[in-house]
Amino acid sequence: MSVYILHVLIMVAIFAMLALSLNISVGFAGLVSLGHAAFFGIGAYASGIIMIKGLGFPVAFGSAGIITALLGLALALPALRVKDDYLAIVTLGFGIIVEIIFMNLDITGGTDGLVGIPPVTLCGNPLYSKPGFLLLCVVILGFMIVSMYTLKNSKIGRAWAAIRDNDITASFMGINIYGYKTLAIVVSAFWAGLAGSLYAHYTAYINPHTFGMHTSIMILSMVVLGGIGSIPGALLGAALLTVLPEVLRPLADYQDIFYGGLLVAMMVFRPQGIMGRVKITEIFGGAR
Amino acid sequence: MLLQQLVNGLAAGCVYALVALGYTMIFGILGIVNFAQGEIYMYGAFGAVLTLAATGNLVLAIVAGIAAACLVGVLLERFAFRPVRGMHPLIPLISAIGASIFLSSLARLIFGPEDRSFPMEFHPHSYQFFGAEITELQLVIILVSLALMVMLWLFLNLTKHGKAIMAVAMDSDAAKLSGINVNAAYVTTFLLGSAMSGVAGILMAMYYNATAPNMGLLPGLKAFSAAILGGVGSIPGAIIGGLVLGVAENLGAAYLSSHFKDAFAFIALVLVLIIRPRGILGRQ
Repeated sequence: MSVYILHVLIMVAIFAMLALSLNISVGFAGLVSLGHAAFFGIGAYASGIIMIKGLGFPVAFGSAGIITALLGLALALPALRVKDDYLAIVTLGFGIIVEIIFMNLDITGGTDGLVGIPPVTLCGNPLYSKPGFLLLCVVILGFMIVSMYTLKNSKIGRAWAAIRDNDITASFMGINIYGYKTLAIVVSAFWAGLAGSLYAHYTAYINPHTFGMHTSIMILSMVVLGGIGSIPGALLGAALLTVLPEVLRPLADYQDIFYGGLLVAMMVFRPQGIMGRVKITEIFGGAR
Repeated sequence: MLLQQLVNGLAAGCVYALVALGYTMIFGILGIVNFAQGEIYMYGAFGAVLTLAATGNLVLAIVAGIAAACLVGVLLERFAFRPVRGMHPLIPLISAIGASIFLSSLARLIFGPEDRSFPMEFHPHSYQFFGAEITELQLVIILVSLALMVMLWLFLNLTKHGKAIMAVAMDSDAAKLSGINVNAAYVTTFLLGSAMSGVAGILMAMYYNATAPNMGLLPGLKAFSAAILGGVGSIPGAIIGGLVLGVAENLGAAYLSSHFKDAFAFIALVLVLIIRPRGILGRQ
């Protein structure tokens, strides 16, 4: 395989993790987030800074997830007092604030970005080879997919679905709405932080611009295109929206128009997405 | 110094209030947030700037700017909101987000990404009072905004179309039964909200002497924060929220940190949501 194809596959794996993680909050629990790239960025910066300070990759990787989850909790506690459209705006504001913070702190390197992030090390040996890194991503992604299915069919997953479909009914069933919604944001942030860690050590250089609104919208488009709530859908959406821009490079100027039009068209004509089941349309179409 | 920041904040706050009124009206009647409000503002500014550059006629330019904003608003209602009305809240929400991205990237393709200056020079005559100065342009912004707010209030409370909108906002089924054309009320609401955002865009294009495809994003978000701050659905709330936000932002930039100027609106938003989620004037 050529280096270029390996690179695209690695990006597909990282964005698949991001789409799956956003699918937890948007798809499972019905909490639309427009600031998901902020979690991606927090994980990337946390992991990069920790490893630059001399700690090993496993520590950096784990802390990236935990730090991002804690910041997810810090966002969820105030943000979840509102829902739907308000929540979307609050998360968008969160994304903008985080980007501004990345641009203004010394430890993040400001607008120049964070330079010289060490590569992933396994058992003390740096992992420079692309196939090796791809394998690592695939293993983590595989573990994530299994845990997504487990989560979706667990008591927690069913509670999320109940809240998404009708929160008032869910509260009558004795579900702690606030608690479960908070959990959805925290778990979603945790996985996005891990994806950020992988991204930082793969590219060795990160800057605030990568974690702005454009990326948040791209991740949301992946979830919506594949089918809100569908695990294979999130994977397919991530693969399509990562590979298509590579294939259609001459049309790069039209990329955002395409995302915007895609979101509207999907909602008007096929709200359940490519992989979504018809049943989900009924749920989405019926409850208000 | 303090008074000066208050004046600057008041001018910016008036513009936020105009855009916030659009949010609040559309939310009041449709129950959804029009994410593309900031884009309508931007098209209003471009409509005026391009017409002024072509004709040199300021009145014609302002009319063209408002017309452009209204056209975008009506198209938005027809193609992004009406087909998904009444569905699960996620669906109109994502549709609105998509429409907003579509409109701003379309503007970047048509108009180019760079800033354009306002094609007419204003001779900045300013008035002094108590050590602060207010420029003519700031005075115009404040007066035009106040006039529009009064006109909106008169329209909603004294005309038949205005009362129809209020009725649909209270209960659209009952309004339909009383013979009110509900679709017409939706379109009128979008027209009014878009026209005010268009005026706001034109005023800001003059004030900052810059028009760019991404100019709508931050004012749109801040105006939304203003609408929440004042209490969503409340028209006086939107005005108060806009003014409070404009002043708070300028004070924050002057006394705390100018790097974080754009973050203050959102910090205020988060604080409101924690302390008083229904806003200053909102009902439970």
